[in-house]
Amino acid sequence: MGEVILTMKDIDKSFPGVHALDHVNFEVKRGEVHALMGENGAGKSTLMKVLTGIYQKDSGSITYKGKEVAFHNTREAQDAGIVIVHQELNMVGDLTVAQNIFIGREPRKGFRIDDKKMIEDSKKLFQDLHIEIDPREKMNNLTVGKQQMCEIAKAISHKAEVIIFDEPSAALTEKEIADLFEIIKDLRSKNLGIVYISHRMDEIKVITDRVTVMRDGGYVGTLITAESTKEDIINMMVGRVIYEDPKQHSMVPPNAPVVLKVEHLNAGKMVQDVSFELRKGEILGFSGLMGAGRTETARALFGADPKESGKISIMGKDGQLHEVTINSPQDAVKYGIGYLSEDRRRYGCVVQKSVTENTTLATMEEFTSGLVIQKGKEKQVTEKYIQELATKTPSADQLVVNLSGGNQQKVVIAKWLTRNSEILIFDEPTRGIDVGAKNEIYKLMNRLAAEGKSIIMISSEMTEVLRMSDRIIIMCEGKVTGDIDISEATQESIMDKATRNIN
Amino acid sequence: MTRKKKSILSDQRFIVLLVVIILAGIFSILSKEFRQYTTLLSMLDFSYYDLLMAIGVTFPLITGGVDLSIGTGMVCYALIAGTMVRSHGCPVLVAMLLCVVLGVLIGLLNGVLIGVMNLPPFLATLCTCMITRGLGSLYSATPWPTLTQEGGWFHSIFKLTIGTGRSADRYPLGFLWMILLVLLMEFVLNHTKFGRYTIAIGSNKEAAALSGINVKFYHVMVYVVCGLFTGLASIAYAAVTPTVQPGTGAGLEMDAIGGVFVGGVAASGGYGSVLGTFVGIFVIMLLKTGLPYIGLQANWQQIITGIVLIVAVLIDILKEKKR
Amino acid sequence: MEKLKQNPIVKKLGLNRILLVCILVLMFAAFKVVLGSKFPVMDSIRSTLNYVYFLGFLSLGVTFVIATGGIDFSIGPVMFCCALISGYCMVSYGVPCPVAMILCVLIGLAFGTFNGWMVSYMSVPPFIISMASMNIAKGIASVFTKTQSVSWPQSSDPVNGWFRNIVSYNGFPVGLIIFLAVAVLCGFILFNTKPGRYILCLGSNSEAVRLSGVNTRKWRMLAYMICGFLVGIAALFFVATYTTVQPGYGDQYNNEAIAGCVMGGTSMVGGLASVGGTVIGVFIISLLQQGIMAFGLGKGQQMIITGIIVIVAVYVDVSARRRKN
Repeated sequence: MGEVILTMKDIDKSFPGVHALDHVNFEVKRGEVHALMGENGAGKSTLMKVLTGIYQKDSGSITYKGKEVAFHNTREAQDAGIVIVHQELNMVGDLTVAQNIFIGREPRKGFRIDDKKMIEDSKKLFQDLHIEIDPREKMNNLTVGKQQMCEIAKAISHKAEVIIFDEPSAALTEKEIADLFEIIKDLRSKNLGIVYISHRMDEIKVITDRVTVMRDGGYVGTLITAESTKEDIINMMVGRVIYEDPKQHSMVPPNAPVVLKVEHLNAGKMVQDVSFELRKGEILGFSGLMGAGRTETARALFGADPKESGKISIMGKDGQLHEVTINSPQDAVKYGIGYLSEDRRRYGCVVQKSVTENTTLATMEEFTSGLVIQKGKEKQVTEKYIQELATKTPSADQLVVNLSGGNQQKVVIAKWLTRNSEILIFDEPTRGIDVGAKNEIYKLMNRLAAEGKSIIMISSEMTEVLRMSDRIIIMCEGKVTGDIDISEATQESIMDKATRNIN
Repeated sequence: MTRKKKSILSDQRFIVLLVVIILAGIFSILSKEFRQYTTLLSMLDFSYYDLLMAIGVTFPLITGGVDLSIGTGMVCYALIAGTMVRSHGCPVLVAMLLCVVLGVLIGLLNGVLIGVMNLPPFLATLCTCMITRGLGSLYSATPWPTLTQEGGWFHSIFKLTIGTGRSADRYPLGFLWMILLVLLMEFVLNHTKFGRYTIAIGSNKEAAALSGINVKFYHVMVYVVCGLFTGLASIAYAAVTPTVQPGTGAGLEMDAIGGVFVGGVAASGGYGSVLGTFVGIFVIMLLKTGLPYIGLQANWQQIITGIVLIVAVLIDILKEKKR
Repeated sequence: MEKLKQNPIVKKLGLNRILLVCILVLMFAAFKVVLGSKFPVMDSIRSTLNYVYFLGFLSLGVTFVIATGGIDFSIGPVMFCCALISGYCMVSYGVPCPVAMILCVLIGLAFGTFNGWMVSYMSVPPFIISMASMNIAKGIASVFTKTQSVSWPQSSDPVNGWFRNIVSYNGFPVGLIIFLAVAVLCGFILFNTKPGRYILCLGSNSEAVRLSGVNTRKWRMLAYMICGFLVGIAALFFVATYTTVQPGYGDQYNNEAIAGCVMGGTSMVGGLASVGGTVIGVFIISLLQQGIMAFGLGKGQQMIITGIIVIVAVYVDVSARRRKN
């Protein structure tokens, strides 16, 4: 490790209603990989956005290479040598790989963009990284992993001195992660400062030199990785030990009937020959890497996306399984399935509408006589669920946009409970929800399962999967690679299956 | 991963070219008059302003926007320039420059409304469409001759007359200019920063902004370029239209926009080509010119252009779905 | 200002709407003061109302479409198309007046259905289908009438003159009553019925509504159909007021209708609508047209001013929304 290249001191940033960063400190030395850790919503991304000029800080100071700096946009940060490899891909799909890598700083010959040079330079970049990608290929035609590699190549090509990796491994296969680590080690040996944001504890241990932990927008502390244990870091992250131990055995009675049977479901590349069963009162965890096809499976099952083939059977009123045709969410809802998306603001609720309007959205028929809405009845039911789920809202008329993530999730749950859905698909149920509310959601899910609802839970957080599921389906590259009971599940066995197809 | 060589048959531009040839064939067979050289000449004469508008509006359409003010704008500039020449003794050259300057100014206004103030493109340009239409009729209340009368030197920019001046001795010089302009703008679209960022804005504006591109500037420039071409179009319009009725021009943008969509611009933006526009506009022009020759009223062209626009967009949407 | 917003009466009526009414009254007063005798009160009110009738229905119709987050700027030419074709049938083919009136509304409905189907089932962007429909409407009207203007019967017409009574009966503004009744009905549909709820919700977040098991395509299409239907009614009121229609026109009313709607507080982003606002907005736009004419200014100025008003109204809406998020 060399001298300090970047120091962020007492950084403070507020958004209307949220104190996003509360006097945070952070520093990076040359030749170190510095992990930035924290729960979702702890403020890691915000801190990095302040650093790279996407947000402006309210107070505090940033010192880079001995000088105080304040970047006004990513361009200025890039020019100074600070680049960020974004979590969500920032690529222009209709342009080629080379065009994307050099966007904003195209080499020119007079008026003309020198495409030849761009392609040559990109080839060199990829050679250095040992990646095989054709720079002339259109970005849209690449896999997510390859796109991520392009993003990294782009960052490196900036002659950067500080590179920020924002959860780079989330979408990568094991082999790609190994490649990535080689690249990072190589960059470290070249005396660059590297910031590495990730949730994966094992990665942190392998690749990083120091760890800075953030919690609820505040700075908690910095540790030297080699001298600290996993538990130290986790405790710093959560503040208190809130994670219960993993579930030891399934809570589902052995004679519980199957309520949903999916056989040989196919829908594009991401869902190939998927089969599984869901039993009454069961929480069925879906584990796997990002891009393993879990959300796609759920969406295909729910009729949100078209499927090519497959048989879906659902238990009818008579207690028997019946084959059903689900071609649209309408059909799925009719058969008692409810889908709770990970992206609540886009797919979950109509945020500009009230709690009431969202609660009854899937069940309008029951609140109308003729075509006219019975507003009193509507409100009554909504208020019942507000109480039952302990939703924190000033009133049933409050716009959902003003609620916190956890309470928005409760509104969506209320929507499906109003509909009396028997099968609930939770896609990343606690993403973007703060620690306390997380626990509440978990309790709620357990209660629903105990009341006989059947739950499919897609989750990328290993602790969540191990804590909640009765049984775990593991997917990899669109295929089911494992189906294990919770009593046999370990982190290692799941990871092994989640990467089975790869290599 | 290997790149597949695209077959020429799957290129929309090639298919549209075939359509042009087939349409021309049908009209030629059905009507003897249509086969004459003078018909071709007059069709070309009237295609220049449509084509110029279309080249310009290709850029906003690639960004996923639109410019509805080009038709009324073109007429408005021609009216103002014509009035300057007729009533104020303004030299023709200056009047032509004025056309271009006015076009750029309205383009700039559109660009600022859309790129900086974030108004929806169709709404902002619907308003400037009304405004230019109003401006034109404000400036002259009566039908007014455009730039100059028949025979002025500026007509020969588009038509080269050799010998007696009979129509058979006229050569469509303008066509040559158009080809040069099309090639120039195709180059601009594919090999300059401006063109590349136009595509980037249409494909993923967020990403373009995060890459450090001054998105606002380029978004404004897209509409300025469109305005510039509308200005040029108004010169070509004046050259073929002896008098212009103030307050008209609404609907002319449809021919141009229709042509661009036929040429294969993506309905949601991110893809398009000026060469495609060039071919596409001739589908519209052939319909416009040819229909009267086979005994259909001129207004049928309006209906058919509308249908052609819908079909072109539907084809694009279906292609998108397949991917 | 904040205090005023919290006032229960203000809250009930909506600050926006109160301000709009104030603008309306002030505008009227200003015209009277500046123009004096050139702006006779009763005549001005009458001509404003005449304008309100057809524009109001257009505006109400497009309110539904804008509430879904879409747009329809074919409404002006489509209105003319309805009036022209049905009128031509009556005048040239001897179709009875009541049948022609029904035909008029049906043509509007047909256009609305077509637009809605294209937008919601074929995923064609609304602005493109608007452009196409505008052209098709103008084209069909011109072809059908052989580019001649059509005159609906005058009041003096012994057989069919009665139909003008939908606008005014012996000087009593029947049209105003009908317009306000329809506006109330529209408000009821939007805010108190299932279709209205769906239309507003899908305008705000279509995908979330679809994933709640709602057939969003159907309801989106319905919004365009309602719009088309109201455009047909607007056509009736147009001919009942002015009797003569000319093919090839109608574009300017697009802007005026959208202006009334957006000024009244219906958001271009979708999901937020105000029928009361639209009604007041229409009154303001109509009064403005009368004022401009009383000033001795022409169509040109009218178009420019309406254009600027829409730009300002939409800009206010867009920037208010952005502040919120």
